[in-house]
Amino acid sequence: MWAWLGAVLQNDWAQNGIAVLVVVALLWAIVRAGREPLWAEAYRRLRRNRVAMISLAVVSLYGIIAVADSIGWRDDKNAPRKTIIDRVFERPQERYYSYPLAATTFGEPKPRPLLAPGKHLLGTDSVGDDIFYRTLKGCRTALIIGGFTSLLVTPLALLFGLRAGDFGKRVVDVIPSVSPVVDYVIEFVYTLQASSPEILLLNALLLVLGPGLLNLCLALGITSWVGLCRLTRGETLKHRDREYVRAARALGASHSRILLRHILPNLMPVVIISVTLSFSGLVLSEAILSYLGIGVEPGVGSWGNMIDSARLELAREPIIWWNLASASTALFILVLAFNIFGDALRDAIDPRLRSS
Amino acid sequence: MLRYVLRRIAYAVPILVGVSLLTFFLFYAVYTPEQMARKNLSTKNPTPAQIEEWVKEHGYDKSRSEQFSKHMKELLLLRFGKSDATKQDIWERIRAGVGPSSYIASLIFVCSIITSISLALVAAYFRGTYLDLWITFLCVLMMSIVYMVYIIAGQYVFGKILKLSPLGGWRGGLDAARFVILPMIIGVIYGLGSTVRLYRTFMLDEMNQDYVRTARAKGIGERGVLLRHVLKNAAIPILTSSVAVIPSLLLGSLLLEQFFGIPGLGSLTVDAINSQDFAVVRAMVFLGTVLYIVGLILTDISYALVDPRVRLE
Amino acid sequence: MDAAPLCIRRGAAGDGDRRAERVRQQPLRARRNGAPVLYFAQGDDPKTLDPSVTYTVSEAAITDLIYPSYFQYHYLKRDPYVLELALGAVEPKREPYCYTATEKGKAVQKTGESWTFRIKPGLRFQDDPCFPGGKGREITAADFLYSFRRLADPSVHCPILSFVEDKIIGMKEYVAANTEKIKKKQKVDLRSGVEGLQLDPKDPLAFRVLLNQPYPQLRYLMAMHFTTPQLARHPVGSGAYMMEEYKSKQRIVLTANPNRREEFYPTEGEPGDRQAGLLRDAGKRLPLAEKVVFNIIREGVTGWNLFLQGYQDAWSVTPENYQQVMSRAGQLSPEMQKRGVQLSQEVSANIYYFAFNMKDSVVGGLSEKNKKLRQAISLAIDAQAFIDLFSQGNGQPAEFLIPPGIYGYDPNYRNPYRRYDPKLTRAKELLAEAGYPGGIEKKTGERLTLFFDNTATTAAGRQLVGLVTKQIQALGLRLESRSARSNVFQDRVDKGQFQFIRYGWFADYPDPENFVFLLYGPNKRPGPNASGYDNPRYNRLFEQMRALEDGPKRLEVIRQMRDIAAEDAPWVFLQHDVDLALTYDWLNNVKPHPVANDTTKYRGVDGERRAQLQRAWNQPNFWPLLGALALLLAGSVPAAAVVRARGQRRARRAAPVAASANASTPPSKGEGR
Repeated sequence: MWAWLGAVLQNDWAQNGIAVLVVVALLWAIVRAGREPLWAEAYRRLRRNRVAMISLAVVSLYGIIAVADSIGWRDDKNAPRKTIIDRVFERPQERYYSYPLAATTFGEPKPRPLLAPGKHLLGTDSVGDDIFYRTLKGCRTALIIGGFTSLLVTPLALLFGLRAGDFGKRVVDVIPSVSPVVDYVIEFVYTLQASSPEILLLNALLLVLGPGLLNLCLALGITSWVGLCRLTRGETLKHRDREYVRAARALGASHSRILLRHILPNLMPVVIISVTLSFSGLVLSEAILSYLGIGVEPGVGSWGNMIDSARLELAREPIIWWNLASASTALFILVLAFNIFGDALRDAIDPRLRSS
Repeated sequence: MLRYVLRRIAYAVPILVGVSLLTFFLFYAVYTPEQMARKNLSTKNPTPAQIEEWVKEHGYDKSRSEQFSKHMKELLLLRFGKSDATKQDIWERIRAGVGPSSYIASLIFVCSIITSISLALVAAYFRGTYLDLWITFLCVLMMSIVYMVYIIAGQYVFGKILKLSPLGGWRGGLDAARFVILPMIIGVIYGLGSTVRLYRTFMLDEMNQDYVRTARAKGIGERGVLLRHVLKNAAIPILTSSVAVIPSLLLGSLLLEQFFGIPGLGSLTVDAINSQDFAVVRAMVFLGTVLYIVGLILTDISYALVDPRVRLE
Repeated sequence: MDAAPLCIRRGAAGDGDRRAERVRQQPLRARRNGAPVLYFAQGDDPKTLDPSVTYTVSEAAITDLIYPSYFQYHYLKRDPYVLELALGAVEPKREPYCYTATEKGKAVQKTGESWTFRIKPGLRFQDDPCFPGGKGREITAADFLYSFRRLADPSVHCPILSFVEDKIIGMKEYVAANTEKIKKKQKVDLRSGVEGLQLDPKDPLAFRVLLNQPYPQLRYLMAMHFTTPQLARHPVGSGAYMMEEYKSKQRIVLTANPNRREEFYPTEGEPGDRQAGLLRDAGKRLPLAEKVVFNIIREGVTGWNLFLQGYQDAWSVTPENYQQVMSRAGQLSPEMQKRGVQLSQEVSANIYYFAFNMKDSVVGGLSEKNKKLRQAISLAIDAQAFIDLFSQGNGQPAEFLIPPGIYGYDPNYRNPYRRYDPKLTRAKELLAEAGYPGGIEKKTGERLTLFFDNTATTAAGRQLVGLVTKQIQALGLRLESRSARSNVFQDRVDKGQFQFIRYGWFADYPDPENFVFLLYGPNKRPGPNASGYDNPRYNRLFEQMRALEDGPKRLEVIRQMRDIAAEDAPWVFLQHDVDLALTYDWLNNVKPHPVANDTTKYRGVDGERRAQLQRAWNQPNFWPLLGALALLLAGSVPAAAVVRARGQRRARRAAPVAASANASTPPSKGEGR
């Protein structure tokens, strides 16, 4: 069944379809959420924040690049599938490293002229690939790893975290939980998972699932949900005795209603920041995975692989910096925009900051 | 309190068994005993007879359940045995490495907690001003840079150009200080970005609480509010987020030790996984779990200490 | 030694005088200055130092100093390699030997060979508490035979057992008996057994090895650490050095062994050696240095920088430091010359190659169609590009198995299927003849896809995959890379589940047999023949060549084998390494040896000069630090201003709200709950 799914995903049109579908779903979710009073208010505040809007534009730009890199077609049956990014930005492959906009290779005993002199905006890497093109190719991988994994992880971690924090309360509180067994299981699973070594788990999962970007997301999701879960648990513990929760309880609100309608919105600011941080962390973790040798496959564009090759490039004299610098800058801008936007969103959504 | 701790310890046993079971199955899902034998025998192509011999010698030919119960018994008695790959006694290896690893890791831990909290306080104090913005910018910048870059740059600037500190190496005793400073600084700086961001959020979150308003209304200055009220209340999430690092305090950091030639335990687990040295893997996983659970209990106790609303029963 | 898949920079650590002469950590400055201590490096803890087991060059750099053998290589003579007696007293005597073998239940008279050895009198083990009274006991012939038998103990897992198992009379039976014993949980007795290993009842220093066939390569085996007198897993030997300290992940210290035999620096070498100053220490007692420290340094950058600071005596030229070390003309750069660094070059006795799986239906077999496909691919792979990229142009494209420096190497030979032409004219013709015009299979109309199995999990590995893909794609084929962990990769190779791999081989001993046997049919898995090539003509020639002495007849046989292998193209011969090593001028007698691993004992050191330069190069510089501090202080002035402003405001109006200054301070009213 897994192989069958893989075969479907391999299909060109399925790939294009999925890309379009993701964009449509995202837009729909945003529009839909805009109708909710909580979010509608947040949007209104966000629109007034200029820095946040710029950040949003930057993130969207990355998104557009990623989508453009997901839609592609073949010129004929035996030709490789080329995405829009490939068609616009691909440059002839050179022999070796070359300096940004240089005319000859760099670091070879005898420098040779390039096939496309002066056309490599950010230089070339060890196999002569254009760095600018590689950097653009990395967007898609980064967004999939960061975004898709966060999407997988956040709801799960929130749910379990709330549950676990709530379970901690049972000692104090008299309201019986729905099913104590489930709570024990949740607590057990997450302590279990938190204390197993991440590398072994990742290694094992990737070996069982097989290599591939989506499998990597899945494995990262499985190993990274615990952090957010713990945080949510701690915050829930803190909030459970706050006055407003008592008040809600006194008003006869149901248990799950208290958790979801009262405590959860109050956790949102912390959750948003934590998701922002974990998004950045996930994008960065790709580099560490490459270092450990279980990252994205060589053919797929990835900032992690580019950064990992820095281990050899920084050790060189003179240093080859453009590969690392391009990937890191791309990463930095994405993470920064995401962080600023996350901050702004947090401020916009915090009910205590709202003036009537 | 004592009852709570005892209950938690009792609760730890099924978790220990569970983690060991998980490791056990994960390991066997990934590697067959034949592959382990192949990896641990000398590099030349081993004959099938040699492989069989190795598997038998290390007891990997018995049934899974038999192996597991034997493993579990040994682990609970803390009898780790010998490494599959090097035949070295595992306890001896741990004893040799735990010193350097914990020396450097706990220094990093303490220093980075102090610096991050102070920086987060500064950011919270100057929130909304240009300084806060700069701190955010710097933090994100620091987060986007890979560990290796810090290490290589640190070695380059402080070791190679300024020659203030050795590039790597290790001596025991008092001499260690000379070798520790640079990796420590780098370790602290590396973690700073994301922790300051996180702690700042915790603090801002507290600053919006009613009690802060009350305190302000009573005329307490901004500094007093931050240090006396906010800091205490932000301690819970800060504590929570720092438990996760407790096992690594003893087990060390892979990259730092690798680059600075520190003879610690940082690479032990990774090496063992890569060389399919199951004896070491299960021992390290077990130790890691124990440390993690100890960390959890300690956090819960410290919750009770900093927050009178939390009672451990 | 050691087939190393995809190891671009020669495995993890390298060996005693070429690679692993690497690092030393910073010493405490005042102490030990000027002492005759050598500082080299290891890439990681050695996996084992058991001389019957270890099979990597980096471990041999340590074991071969502790465990000498019957023979050793002459330090200075290379062309040809000369074996001189180490523990041995006489050249072994080879005689025909008649024995009775049982074949199909019948006793048959056969002729083999008998080798008689005698060792020097008065050799002693190093002092160690394991001996009575702590004094090292005398070494006798029985110790040699013990080592031989130990190879046949299945629980030892000796890597070269297959070299001798089928040649020493009675060895196979002994291995089988030991396996049986282990199964029954009995102890294996290594004190006796094996018909072909005999002590001389009259002379405790002599022993005989009986072989069922002529095996001239036994001489070379007697120069490897597998046949050294030893005490099993306890590191006690009789060599120039003995183990003083071993700290895991930190360092290994060897110190001169007081019980070592009398041994002197060679008094003659090759032409040019005297001019190069290699005979200055002629006649001095070995080892020249009192101590050798192998520091364990796991990261290349750290090691290279420590070398630059003078805290280690040697380092290798890597892709990373190449530009700094070498000038355009391929000479040592002026910067390095000024520091007193010296460069030595040595063609390494090794080969890298791409192997096709000869069992594969697309690329394997000896059919004309598949042979043409292999030839086309062989023509499309540009060895020079690999050498330029991964060895900075230092290497030699391989035409055949045998590397330079090994008997049978022919510098004038050009393999017709290794002539790379960027237009790929001939390769494309052959591809079309094989039924894939333009890379498209005629029958299906689809592009032919090949699978390249590899262990490319590092940045360097990915570069290699990138280059192979580029070159195969230029031919019109598609190449799909399958990366896996090394053990999974090995598993696939052993089971023949691959199409195309990259592999390497390093010489065990300087005899062509050690290379051409890689394509000998009966050596296929689990033997060293990974591609599974099995051509009866080649096999017959190999059997003939193995027993021949060096001479025109042997050369002729090798030539015939070469033409068969070139035509069948089971491999794409890639390259032989040229090793570049850097040493400081305070290190004396540097002449890398491609095969021997015990060369450290010939090295001397001028400790005074080293200490002086270290001090001069490493003066700390505090000024920039103070500057940075000043900058930080200057930066905090505006912050202080904010604090003051706030304080004043507070003083002016004792109100708690300062929302105008602090955007995120909670407003005092209008909260949502």
